[in-house]
Amino acid sequence: MIRSMPVVAITLRSLLDRRRFWLMLLLAAVPVAITLLGRAVGDVSFSESVFDRLVIQTVLPLIALVFGTGALGAELEDGTIVYLLTKPGRRFRIVLAKGLVAAGLTIALVVPATLLTGLIVATDDPDIIVPAVSYAVAAAAGGTAYALGFMTLSSLTSRALAIGLGYVLLWEGVLAGLLPGTQTFSIRQATLGVAEALQGADDPTLDAATSVGVLAVVILGSLALGSWRMSRYQLRGGE
Amino acid sequence: MTAAAPPQAPAAAIAVEHVSRWYGNVVAVNDVSFSVGPGVTGLLGPNGAGKTTLLHMIAGLLAPSAGEVLVEGRPAWRDSEMYRHVGLVPERETVYPFLTGREFTIANARQQGLPDPDAAAERAIALVELADAADRRVGTYSKGMRQRIKMAAALVHEPPVLILDEPFNGMDPRQRLHMFELLRRMAEQGRTVLLSSHILEEVERMAESILVIYAGRLAAAGDFRSIRRLMTDRPHVFHVRSSDDRRLAAELLRLECVFGVELDAKGLTVRTADLGQLTRQMPRIARDHGISLRELRPTDDSLESVFAYLVGR
Repeated sequence: MIRSMPVVAITLRSLLDRRRFWLMLLLAAVPVAITLLGRAVGDVSFSESVFDRLVIQTVLPLIALVFGTGALGAELEDGTIVYLLTKPGRRFRIVLAKGLVAAGLTIALVVPATLLTGLIVATDDPDIIVPAVSYAVAAAAGGTAYALGFMTLSSLTSRALAIGLGYVLLWEGVLAGLLPGTQTFSIRQATLGVAEALQGADDPTLDAATSVGVLAVVILGSLALGSWRMSRYQLRGGE
Repeated sequence: MTAAAPPQAPAAAIAVEHVSRWYGNVVAVNDVSFSVGPGVTGLLGPNGAGKTTLLHMIAGLLAPSAGEVLVEGRPAWRDSEMYRHVGLVPERETVYPFLTGREFTIANARQQGLPDPDAAAERAIALVELADAADRRVGTYSKGMRQRIKMAAALVHEPPVLILDEPFNGMDPRQRLHMFELLRRMAEQGRTVLLSSHILEEVERMAESILVIYAGRLAAAGDFRSIRRLMTDRPHVFHVRSSDDRRLAAELLRLECVFGVELDAKGLTVRTADLGQLTRQMPRIARDHGISLRELRPTDDSLESVFAYLVGR
């Protein structure tokens, strides 16, 4: 693990060093800001949908997309990956280290934002604490799946950002509404399924076991596919 | 009775055996074989000849489409343990701009699993004479400094094999000299240094043996002098303009070293097998016959034409 520390450190520095981190911080602050605004104008009705619509469906996948693709894809793009590839040891450690950083940063932004939103609402409605914690836990699990999935996507294509965005907006957004069958293959639905299960919902869209299963498959599958891909990664020369 | 085993020849540090690499229909490297031992070897060829593709295959970053690359006797492709013995200085300039030179070198030492990464990094930084700038961010470095920090990172684990892709790019003459010196020292220590360049003079000053690659094929391999001789002895083509082209043509044809002269409206095209003799004789002929020379210009002196000649030979 000691040998992976430079990979963790380099990935963390590269993701924190750029302007995009501040943009992501702003994005994570949106649910908090909207809830505060709602309180200010006396409208408390939409508080719970902030978790579902805003946090899980919008903020979480977008932040995970930016960190996930940035963790590995940026280095593949600019060629600095050479300094990691030309070292002894299995490539799995590179994928795992980068995946942990991408997932960790996503969790570090989204989970506090969810809990903070819950705390603001709880000043009027203490019952919100259970849903807030449930959504925060689900966001941590879903954020890990999203970040690892998008990281692995960036090892397969240089258009990971566009394809990832297409997945979130079209597959999970539009298509899930039109063809409910596709919801089983959706990180969003699995994340919501976990949140609902933690709140003890009677009739969840996706049951707890399936939700956890989908997230586990995405997380483990991404690590396996990413490692496989990186162990065979071929550098294109300038010629 | 037991027979003593015959002494085995030491394996070449780098052995490239019938290696080809193609991308779809494009052949980047075509059935290349050579081996490289200790000392400095220059891989020479024009841009786009396949040097980087070849170096990437040797560095285990690209799979050969056919053939095999062995480094220290082990297949280079998909054997990460090889990197304990190999240091690579890639051509691309990008180095993590947010790290300082020291942090970058230490990160490389740590990934090598060295017992004292900080001390190893210090040694490597001192070797490339970058101690003064080691605490500056790489993003603020000049091209030459970036090359040197890449070099420090590649040397941090003191590998017996060092591969450098166009290492002199962006270096000023002083830095170049320093790099020459450094690589020569590496060679003296018994390391195998393989470097690529598209500039003949760089390789000439540096390498004891050279490999010439052109259009994906190995055009020549051997010690520099014999290849240089091949290059100088090749037919040369000159364009000449003078006050009396027809007369000059007639006189030039008397020379044994000239084997062709064409006359057209723009002047003369002269083909010679001996560049030195022609350039010595030409002024004498002009003076003796009262002809003024207006232009004497080689038409095929580009490195590409030299390489094309070597391939076609």
